Amino acid sequence: MEELRTDRRWIRIQEAPLDVAPASDFLRVEEAGGIDLFLGTTRRWTDGRETVQLEYECYESMAVSELDRLLDEAADRWPLSRACILHRTGAVPLREISVVVGVSTPHRDAAFGACRYLIDELKRRVPIWKKERFADGTTDWVEGERPPLTDG
Amino acid sequence: MKDVDSSPPAIDVRLFSSLREQVGCGSVAVIVEGPMTVDELLRRLADEHRAVQAFLSCIRVAVNQEYVGESHVVGPGDEVALITPVSGG
Repeated sequence: MEELRTDRRWIRIQEAPLDVAPASDFLRVEEAGGIDLFLGTTRRWTDGRETVQLEYECYESMAVSELDRLLDEAADRWPLSRACILHRTGAVPLREISVVVGVSTPHRDAAFGACRYLIDELKRRVPIWKKERFADGTTDWVEGERPPLTDG
Repeated sequence: MKDVDSSPPAIDVRLFSSLREQVGCGSVAVIVEGPMTVDELLRRLADEHRAVQAFLSCIRVAVNQEYVGESHVVGPGDEVALITPVSGG
């Protein structure tokens, strides 16, 4: 488990199942008029293949640092009242939640924009990997995205 | 992990996901004479591990929990990780 929590942002990597209620409790503040919550869940069928569970591996210390940088970027672009990103590691069975991305903002446009940005960038850059375990007993690391080049 | 005074300075490089499985362990040590660039470190690793060679075109390197470019200089004490394409979420 790895966590970074301040008054306005909450980042957490954990093996235990994720729940929506603590996230929405954290996000509901008086200055916010809208909350967007994105939940990633384990899907059973992909291109005709049956999945039984996903298994997540995470470089936890860097994932927290990179998520913190993502939240800095989002806060530069949108007026975030609060934001949280929670990610599960290890085995995640069908229907269960692997990731919670949540933002609260004064008005809804910013909430939609920031939430979309955060989940898209998480998938591009944050050092987390998932392996798909199929019903036929085989496994595959999901072909992911190469994080963008940095200068230096 | 050995950490005696007589051992040569080394950089521990962390591995994850499919690269970790193919190399067969979660980190490999690279003996270093002094500071070296990330590019030099990658070439050294690719010479010693065929799996790293196979991933060279799609790896990013992180030093102290941050992505760096190939000209970044690393030395003993830095936390280095090879990041294969990510698939979180």
